Amino acid sequence: MTNGDNGNETGARSVYIKDVHKSFGSLHVLQGVSTTIHNGEKVAVIGPSGSGKSTLLRCMNLLEEPTGGEVWLDDRLLTRPDPYFYPEVLRASKTYASMMAQATAATADEQILQRIRVEKLLRRHEGRGFRTALAAVEQKNRLDINHARQRMGMVFQHFNLFNNMTVLQNLTLAPVQLKLKTKEQAEQRAMELLERIGLADKKDKYPSTLSGGQKQRIAIVRALAMNPEIMLFDEPTSALDPEMVGEVLDLIKQLANEGMTMVIVTHEMGFAREVADRVLFMDGGNIAEEGTPAELFSSPKNARTQEFLSKVL
Amino acid sequence: MKFFSQIVELFSTEKYMDIIWEGLQTTLIISVLAALLGLLLGTLVALVTISPQSGWMMVPKAICKAYVTIVRGTPMALQLFIMAYVVFAFRGFPEELTATLAFGINSGAYVAENIRGGILSVDIGQTEAGRALGLTRKITLSRIVIPQAIKNVIPSIGNELIALIKETSIVSMIGMFDLTMAAKIIGSGNNMASYIVPMTVVALFYLAIVYLLTFGIKLIERRLRAGDKR
Repeated sequence: MTNGDNGNETGARSVYIKDVHKSFGSLHVLQGVSTTIHNGEKVAVIGPSGSGKSTLLRCMNLLEEPTGGEVWLDDRLLTRPDPYFYPEVLRASKTYASMMAQATAATADEQILQRIRVEKLLRRHEGRGFRTALAAVEQKNRLDINHARQRMGMVFQHFNLFNNMTVLQNLTLAPVQLKLKTKEQAEQRAMELLERIGLADKKDKYPSTLSGGQKQRIAIVRALAMNPEIMLFDEPTSALDPEMVGEVLDLIKQLANEGMTMVIVTHEMGFAREVADRVLFMDGGNIAEEGTPAELFSSPKNARTQEFLSKVL
Repeated sequence: MKFFSQIVELFSTEKYMDIIWEGLQTTLIISVLAALLGLLLGTLVALVTISPQSGWMMVPKAICKAYVTIVRGTPMALQLFIMAYVVFAFRGFPEELTATLAFGINSGAYVAENIRGGILSVDIGQTEAGRALGLTRKITLSRIVIPQAIKNVIPSIGNELIALIKETSIVSMIGMFDLTMAAKIIGSGNNMASYIVPMTVVALFYLAIVYLLTFGIKLIERRLRAGDKR
């Protein structure tokens, strides 16, 4: 059910984000974002800085833990279950019980569930029945986050190659430590990947001696060494010198052409337009508009999208 | 030139050298054992302190925080007195052990803070990259973060060891026979009748120990940094 073969079927859902909220203290960065990434789909996320693009991406592999809502990979739950999504859980709560006791109408059940959801009435302690019901949902659906992350590659703005290791060690650490491959198998795969990006001769170098473009291409193949089902790119070219942007974008395009599922947070509008199947425009913690690149770039409907695009295009 | 002739006299008199040798032994034993205890304790406390906030970890974290606060907030001499005259005040408890525990526990608090600082100084992106690949917290810490933290921590750990060695001189305050006490004994003897000569000699001994230690630390540092420039 959750193996890679099944997951590669084009059109099946890969990552499903359901009403995700994220707050840092009083700062409400994501205000209820929902979207589905389908297998084989390339999704570009654009928007002004501070709009929550990177936070959304980081919520997908739980580098940021959402404060509300759920994230699914395939048919497994990555976050804790959100109790508001499960009527049977809400019905087990003390809040529901006390509201039910005062109710008289025949349709009370539905109304009360609705009120609890809309007004977010659940409190810290909702009793043992509630906890058991929630735990049952979790037990049934949840996937260990470390296993989920093995299936989701991530590329960072600042590369984040392991500074204490050579290029080859960077590529083999995770597959070997997680016992997915033997050291020999991992090294063989790493060399194939390094040859692909033309950096096989750098295998024994340390990251500090490489250029930004080289570092980022190695960071990409480090993620590929885990054979992920989906790749998450967090502004992969924003920290690069202009002359190195091209080599990194070319590699990402190659991956896209091979059918890799990917979500790319980017400021490179030309690239988003060329590679993406769908573009999400984020503003103020919400998806303000989404559509194909042609729709969104040529005839944006939302006023904020129009304003943003007029500034960056 | 009486000063120099007396220094020569001190080095060539077996009785004086015996006294210095005995004091040196005490100083070295306490320093080495306390340093080992401090490093062990400090590493442990640092790891507990940086562990994520979760239910059952609250208690050890609170204990470690209190330990660091109390040890760093009170004088070393007082801590030594409490160990010698309160905690281990019963007859027959070896005073070397008392001193080792007092200095080791003291040093541990400083080492813990140094290591904690070293781990926090490693870019958070390193941890995120490890975790994003599916590595556990433990593997990320032990294979990626700690090897980088050690490089940053060696100089300040070196400082701490140097301070520790010199600070052991206060064991004379609980009547122990260390290097500093040896100088005092020789100086107050009838034949020498001078403090300046044995004090100078003992100072040279401390200097030599600290110099050797500094040299050793430099070597380690250089080896660890070799990877940076390749």
